[in-house]
Amino acid sequence: MNAFANLIDGFGAVLTPQNLLYAAIGVTVGTLVGMLPGIGPALTIALLLPVALELDDPTGTLIMFAGIYYGAMYGGSTTSILLNTPGESASVATSIEGYQMAKRGRARAALATAAIGSFVAAIITTILLTFVTEPMARLAVTFRASDYFALALLAMVTVTAVVGASIVRGLMSLTFGLFLGIVGIDALTGQARFTFGVASMLDGIDVVVVIVGLFAVGETLFIASRLRELPEKAVPLEPATGFAWLSRADWSRSWRPWLRGTALGFPFGALPSGGAELPTFLSYMYEKRRSRNREEFGRGAIEGVAGPEAANNASFSGVLVPLLTLGIPTSATAAVMLAAFSYFNLSPGPQLLQNQGPLVWALIASLFVGNVLLLALNLPLIQLWVKVLQIPRPLLYSGILVFATLGVYAVSGNIVDVLLAYAIGLIAMLMRHLDFPIAPAILGLILGPLMETQFRRALLLADGDLSIFVRRPLTLILLLLAVAALALPHLPKLFRGQRAVVTGED
Amino acid sequence: MTQPATPRTSDPPPPADADGPGQVEASPLAGLAAGLVLVAAGVALFVRALLVGADRGITLGGPTSAPIVVTGLWVVVAVAYLVTRIAAWRRRVPRPAAARPTWRVPILLMVLLVAYAFVLKYTAVGYVLATVLFYVGSAQLLSTRPLREVIVRDTIVGVVLSLTIYLSFTKLLGIVLPAGVLPL
Repeated sequence: MNAFANLIDGFGAVLTPQNLLYAAIGVTVGTLVGMLPGIGPALTIALLLPVALELDDPTGTLIMFAGIYYGAMYGGSTTSILLNTPGESASVATSIEGYQMAKRGRARAALATAAIGSFVAAIITTILLTFVTEPMARLAVTFRASDYFALALLAMVTVTAVVGASIVRGLMSLTFGLFLGIVGIDALTGQARFTFGVASMLDGIDVVVVIVGLFAVGETLFIASRLRELPEKAVPLEPATGFAWLSRADWSRSWRPWLRGTALGFPFGALPSGGAELPTFLSYMYEKRRSRNREEFGRGAIEGVAGPEAANNASFSGVLVPLLTLGIPTSATAAVMLAAFSYFNLSPGPQLLQNQGPLVWALIASLFVGNVLLLALNLPLIQLWVKVLQIPRPLLYSGILVFATLGVYAVSGNIVDVLLAYAIGLIAMLMRHLDFPIAPAILGLILGPLMETQFRRALLLADGDLSIFVRRPLTLILLLLAVAALALPHLPKLFRGQRAVVTGED
Repeated sequence: MTQPATPRTSDPPPPADADGPGQVEASPLAGLAAGLVLVAAGVALFVRALLVGADRGITLGGPTSAPIVVTGLWVVVAVAYLVTRIAAWRRRVPRPAAARPTWRVPILLMVLLVAYAFVLKYTAVGYVLATVLFYVGSAQLLSTRPLREVIVRDTIVGVVLSLTIYLSFTKLLGIVLPAGVLPL
């Protein structure tokens, strides 16, 4: 039980008063920010990145991140249920039945099944993660450059095919991200690319700048362009008056969807299939089809909240598998976390577990701690958090702009970056209006440079022989899968009906 | 910064109930225009990538090949998008007037944002004062209520927010923000 011993060491590193404080701050701030309508975990982490990076301590930062992430997920499901404004596409499935439950006065049961389901899923899948990480890292060591290239391509293509209403728009968004990833000095030769003579562009475009622009500024401008249609203040349906446990019937209707959602979420998260969107919808559809209370679906069936919420949280642990062992992010949130890693000069991948083993185990231990703290600290405070939803919209979005500017300015101190974030925000607003998905742009930005490096490395090792990409069976399989993912666009069409209520992107 | 209260539709539905961005069907002309801009931008970038490639030599795996591949992909995808938009335009799908976006507020917000960034960087106004002004201004732009009704509330929130950010960032986190004219 090597993994178990390592995990115990991880707990030893995490369970210091200072780290527990970081975790508590993380879940609290994460919940607060994540609860704001239209703001999902990716943006929450991006906005809080400058704060967390100031800790100067990778362990502390990662613990805070774990807390922020789980807090943001919890906050996001609360907003989805009470306001029907999911902050990311992964919460859309939750909002379908959750909002209906809230409308019928069952908001507390919906919130409770979401919170406990998330907890159950997160704990189970973190245990799985504990035992999968090491074998996976051993396998990852055998990956060659051509495999990495093919894997990154597969991740990009599948996310693009799965997210959003049309593949052409998804590909356009992806291409935009790829282009942003090219800007700057070429790492291998030192040549400047698309810097347009601006000195500060030589370092490339910071991921934080792009994320803040795409999500925070873009969302605010989008809201600003639709002011006439929106109420001044969002009114949550039922300001919960204390945390009530689920009724016996609710428990018995929830626990199976929790486990099934968990079983769907983890493998889909671990595959390069675009994080949580697919498993949450699969879980929703499965529960709908299987349920003995099928007639309740559409009017607030608790299974429809329990399953997708569990799948959503489970997929995050799954996403961590390729992120930690291969350095491949398969969701926007994972992409932001990869950016955070790079600030500490840590490069996730096969070597991470070898070189920084204690840190990885501390991260995994902190996932457990973050979950327990979230349930213990935040669940009883639900009535307090719900007040956040009552902040008038102008105050909320002005605050988001202040934080967005601060986030970029504090990281770089560079006005070009700030203006760039605004410009990207403007583009993101137009993307929202024209129905372009946001997530592929982020993945293009992160995975593009990685793909290019691996492609060139593979060619270098093969003396410029392109057949390296078809000679190696693993590479070939991954490339064929990528082609298949593009050729099978029919799957997302099944979900198009449910996708109607998306208000943000992961 | 005053702005007449925009008449609100009676009993507005909750935000995502009406239509989220996933459902906002842009008018065919907007899609057409976006397609044209995307194709034009793609071609311009592609030509630039090719020129740089011709200048420095294009080798497979060299620094100029990725820009050519990506901008080339851009052109292909943008043309495909334009084709779908032309098809939509020929079908002339009408768009409900209520869903039409207004551009005045986002444009004014952009102007305010750029001004805020320049004031932060190049003037001695300082973080707190600049942020309070920006906050009150942008909140007013985003509000449907007249300034005199909300100015006190917005100013108080703005002052508390900017002071909290300034003090926690400079004193606790050690990130330097411009102090400016205020004796902070």
